Amino acid sequence: MLQAINLQKKFKTKEVVCNINMQLEKGESVGLLGPNGAGKSTTISMLSSLVMPTSGEVFWNKVSINKNPEALRKTLGIVPQEIALYPELTAKENLAFFGRIYGLKGRLLIERTEEILLKIGLSDRKNDIVKTFSGGMKRRLNIGAALLHKPSILIMDEPTVGIDPQSRAYILDTVKQLVEEGMTLLYTSHYMEEVELLCDKIYIMDQGEIIAYGTKEELKLLVSDNQTIELKAHLLSSAFEEALQKQFPMASVRKEEDILLISMPKKEEPLATIFAIAADNAVTITSAIVKIPSLEDVFLHLTGRALRD
Amino acid sequence: MLLSLIGKQMKMLLRNKQPLIILLVMPLVLITILSTALAGVMDNGGESAIQARLVILDESNWEQEEESIKSFIEEQGVSGSALDALLTQVKMNDPIHILENSILASKEVGKYISVEKKKATDLNNLRKDKNIDGILMIPSNFRLNYIKSAYFGVNQTPDIDVFLSQENEIRASIIQSVIQEWQNGFTKSLVFSKAGISPNEIMQNTENVKKIEQELQERERKIPASIYYTVGMLVMFALYIPTFLSGFALQEVQWKVYDRLILAGVSSTLYTVSIFITGTIVAVMQQAIILIFGKLVLGIDWIGAEGMLVIVLGYSFFIGGLSSLLTTLQLRTKSEGAANIFSGFVVSIFAFLGGSFFNIGDVSSLLANIGNFTPNGATMTAILSIQKGQQLEVIWSYISALFVWFILCVLLSIVLFPKRGGTS
Repeated sequence: MLQAINLQKKFKTKEVVCNINMQLEKGESVGLLGPNGAGKSTTISMLSSLVMPTSGEVFWNKVSINKNPEALRKTLGIVPQEIALYPELTAKENLAFFGRIYGLKGRLLIERTEEILLKIGLSDRKNDIVKTFSGGMKRRLNIGAALLHKPSILIMDEPTVGIDPQSRAYILDTVKQLVEEGMTLLYTSHYMEEVELLCDKIYIMDQGEIIAYGTKEELKLLVSDNQTIELKAHLLSSAFEEALQKQFPMASVRKEEDILLISMPKKEEPLATIFAIAADNAVTITSAIVKIPSLEDVFLHLTGRALRD
Repeated sequence: MLLSLIGKQMKMLLRNKQPLIILLVMPLVLITILSTALAGVMDNGGESAIQARLVILDESNWEQEEESIKSFIEEQGVSGSALDALLTQVKMNDPIHILENSILASKEVGKYISVEKKKATDLNNLRKDKNIDGILMIPSNFRLNYIKSAYFGVNQTPDIDVFLSQENEIRASIIQSVIQEWQNGFTKSLVFSKAGISPNEIMQNTENVKKIEQELQERERKIPASIYYTVGMLVMFALYIPTFLSGFALQEVQWKVYDRLILAGVSSTLYTVSIFITGTIVAVMQQAIILIFGKLVLGIDWIGAEGMLVIVLGYSFFIGGLSSLLTTLQLRTKSEGAANIFSGFVVSIFAFLGGSFFNIGDVSSLLANIGNFTPNGATMTAILSIQKGQQLEVIWSYISALFVWFILCVLLSIVLFPKRGGTS
């Protein structure tokens, strides 16, 4: 079990992480969600014993890793946001190197390397130099390098940043498979759907603090009193938006490209009124969807900002 | 684990074009250009092929001296068949014959001395000839005096005159050593004869070749441009090895590979040691390639293998230590600043003071002395001393300077290496 108690990190006078409390049980998959600059990577560095917290403690199976980092290190696999590989070496050489420094050798090292190459779908490119790989292939190898020594806990820091949808889907499938096999996972991302797909428990972080945590369902309950209506229409006008705002003063009306999003308390039954206002303003509504609350809505509700702002 | 780290660093270095160009191609190109371009300036008066020119002026001969020798022997009470036997023996042991036909004509000595015979009347002109390294003048009564001294114990040393050139000390000394050995042999003929050893055997048994080679080792060789610039570039370009190795280390930190190493249990000490060993190995390889290039392409005859080995290893250890220190500084500052300052500024200053571009001693002896305390300058001076034919002892002061630099680098690496979290 990995436990963080009142973790704080200051760089000079700037506090980048303040009073973080977290807990990961064996076999649990936990998401750490937050926008860029929220302090996720610093938190991960402290949890993985790479950075000493300014104050607070991290425990691995009740052993303080501030005092005894080796207790955690050998059982931990880490997938950093960066491509932590040697571009001049081949995929196989990279994996063999990381295997060797974890003490694997001989037949075991060869078998484990081949196993991982198969798992990440790079067996046919194993002898190619990494710098010739696509972004997605590098990301897959980045994950593979963390799995060689069969860690009991895997920490992944935004492992799908900057890659094509196909590679992203492949990576998510691989991680999902690991979770199903019982791997303890801490997964950070600013992509809601990834965290929703992979994690049982979610910590939402903003400006160095945990602002909410719980299961997906528990978090969504935070916005269960709200509803979001997504409108697509011809000839959307600012007059129409103003009329809606006037009619529903409690609502937030905003436009994202050609879609109008109206968030308002659930108790109102607005659709008939919206259609009437549209008719008055010569707006033809082509679709109207009442959306189920998402983690994006939770974040928006808690911070007043969209997660990717 | 250590071997894996070293192997990985070697692969990174060998698979990158930039380090290979700077560490190998550039020095080899510069050595070729500078050796060729500056050969005319530096090689004036230099001499790499050591063959001394000896002229023999022999005023004596058997025909002239035979009668007076016979008379002298008869005066000593030897006559008849005993006289004939002694004359035969004396002829067989004739020192001049032995010198010309056995000692100087031998293949071993012939490598170092070429011999010509001239008339004694030419002596004055010959002494003015700067191409002649030595003149041996044998007076007309040489054989008679030799027999008196060697066979009858008359205290009359057979004189010879040797004129040695002041132009080239090494070649003159080669001639001197051979003549001295020969002279030593015939002046002690009587003693050897009484001991049952033939004077002929003694004169031929002199250790001429050994003496010559010893002489060559003791005397300084002139350093041609090819040797000077091969050594100059060798010591300068080795200083770029730490820049590349510390650059790779910084990349490891920036790419977070270093975090993986820490999590795998690679301690900072082990990591630094791996950089040190890699730096040392690469420095040995680089220097070996440059020295072999000098031998095969420029025809340099490297002498003093033991001394060279000590210096190359000493400098390589320093390069390894410097690689560790520069890595430490880069990891501590998390920037390429230290390596950039080092490769852009420090290497140039060190190369200038150490004499890689030209002999700084020609400009200022103070700067030359300072240069001898730079690691590259100390190494260069030590190698050149060995190549001049000086004794191994002369390099120890330079090796000591290198050792001090090495210890300084290692200590600073240990003290300054970033603590936990300092690289993340």
